[in-house]
Amino acid sequence: MRRDPKYLIFKDLLGGLLITLKTFFRKPVTVQYPKERVTIFPSFRGRHALVRDPETGEARCVACLKCVQVCPSRCIEVKFEVNPETGARKMLEYKLEALRCIYCGYCEEVCPVGAIVLTEWFEYSSRDRAGLIFDKEKLLKNWDEFIAKYPDKVYTNKFWNLKGIPEILKPAPKREGIWVKVKE
Amino acid sequence: MLEGEKIVDLEPVVGFLHRGVEKLAENLNYAQVLPLTDRLDYISAMNNNTGYALCVERLLGIEPPPRGKYLRTMVCELARIASHLLWLATHALDIGAMTVFLYCFREREIILNFFEKICGSRLTVSYPRIGGVRLDVEEEVLEEIYNFIPYMYAKIEEYEGLLSENRIWLDRTIGIGVISGEEALAYGLTGPSLRGSGIAYDIRKHFPYDAYPVVEFEVPVGKNGDTYDRYWVRLQEMRQSLKIVKQCIEKLPEGPVCAELSPDLDMPLFKRAFKADAIGPVTLIAFLNEGMELVPKGEIYSAVEGAKGELGFYLVSDGTGRPYRLHIRAPSFIHISALKRLACGHFIADLIAIIGTLDIVMGECDR
Repeated sequence: MRRDPKYLIFKDLLGGLLITLKTFFRKPVTVQYPKERVTIFPSFRGRHALVRDPETGEARCVACLKCVQVCPSRCIEVKFEVNPETGARKMLEYKLEALRCIYCGYCEEVCPVGAIVLTEWFEYSSRDRAGLIFDKEKLLKNWDEFIAKYPDKVYTNKFWNLKGIPEILKPAPKREGIWVKVKE
Repeated sequence: MLEGEKIVDLEPVVGFLHRGVEKLAENLNYAQVLPLTDRLDYISAMNNNTGYALCVERLLGIEPPPRGKYLRTMVCELARIASHLLWLATHALDIGAMTVFLYCFREREIILNFFEKICGSRLTVSYPRIGGVRLDVEEEVLEEIYNFIPYMYAKIEEYEGLLSENRIWLDRTIGIGVISGEEALAYGLTGPSLRGSGIAYDIRKHFPYDAYPVVEFEVPVGKNGDTYDRYWVRLQEMRQSLKIVKQCIEKLPEGPVCAELSPDLDMPLFKRAFKADAIGPVTLIAFLNEGMELVPKGEIYSAVEGAKGELGFYLVSDGTGRPYRLHIRAPSFIHISALKRLACGHFIADLIAIIGTLDIVMGECDR
């Protein structure tokens, strides 16, 4: 190999250098993060939020506890009360530990009314643990913060509308699709 | 142990990334275990998810619909390319080729963006589910992936142009970590590490699953069983993967992506009981539905061709909604045990090349 003329004229190294030279004149792919932003695609699984119903101004949650049941890391805790006359449940407290969450999106997938959502918001570091343990107010605030920057009028999520999944596997309200009107 | 610069003896110490996935799985239902498998081989999570989903499907006797199968095959192959790109990047960086590292990450980023568009997550995807996949893929994304294929072919040419003939690369890889075919089999090596030694064992060909019986591809095989051959095999595999992705998109049938018999994410495992006149804080009492057989009793082993090798899941079911025991046959764990055999007699500087060539992911090794 060492007597090969290609080896003696450094063809292998020059060939490699030619490739790097070609790349040198291409547009750089680096994103200068705080100044430039990467595009976050729809339904990215980011910070949690409880959807604020535009009509009532309250959370949409009906306290069915499906999210509590399905969560693999058991990071959701719900307290609720039952109206003894009608039997309707009212969610009182919703505690979600983002530190434990593994962002699988199962909660938003099983939620029959589209109450909990993993928003496309990804910048939410905290200096202490308490800042990442979300209660009901914080989760609703997360939604308001997210929606203030949301460009479209109607928000919907892929995991609310489960394209291509047989009807029988979806909870009843999800068969028609769920969305929120966020702006007039 | 060293003798001057030569390695005489060596012992890999594993267990520093142990998270007890197998034990955790015993306390979760079958659907909930799936996100845990993301965390095994976190650079090709699609393969782990598919492997686990396939194992449970075989246990339950479910067949995913064709579109689900094709989509799963497509994302698995994309994950394989992403994994091999990361392997090439870090392996080349270890040996001293900084440029390849940066180039590979550039292309890997594109694949991760595809994953983000498909399922909303980049690494820990949890995209396949028991009985198919969780979501359909939009036409635009499929088109983007289709247009990415010729671009990626050109990029693989670039990596080869940088490395395959480079004198430093050849000096560092040829004749390093040689293992014969028989010995590789005896050590339990699978995947590209075995195929580099000349044995064409590939689960996708031998025990085909999902859409692999339908698509055409070749199994690249090396000759000498050294680091260079394993490098060559993986580069060829990336090309074959692109070929599979292309066929999957071309042949993609219409229809649902998930089987109707597929269990819900919250499998009917818990019988919930609430305090009757509950006002104020209520605790959720959950207990096993005793006596009810939710899944067939029995044991099953099913393997898929992960990016690193044969990724097997062994499930013992006792009829309840939770696995009684889950064992994961992780290729990295078995590959790292061959490290001593491969590295002894070589220089200490070659150890890094040998660790690189085995393509070990500690998350999978320690589980």
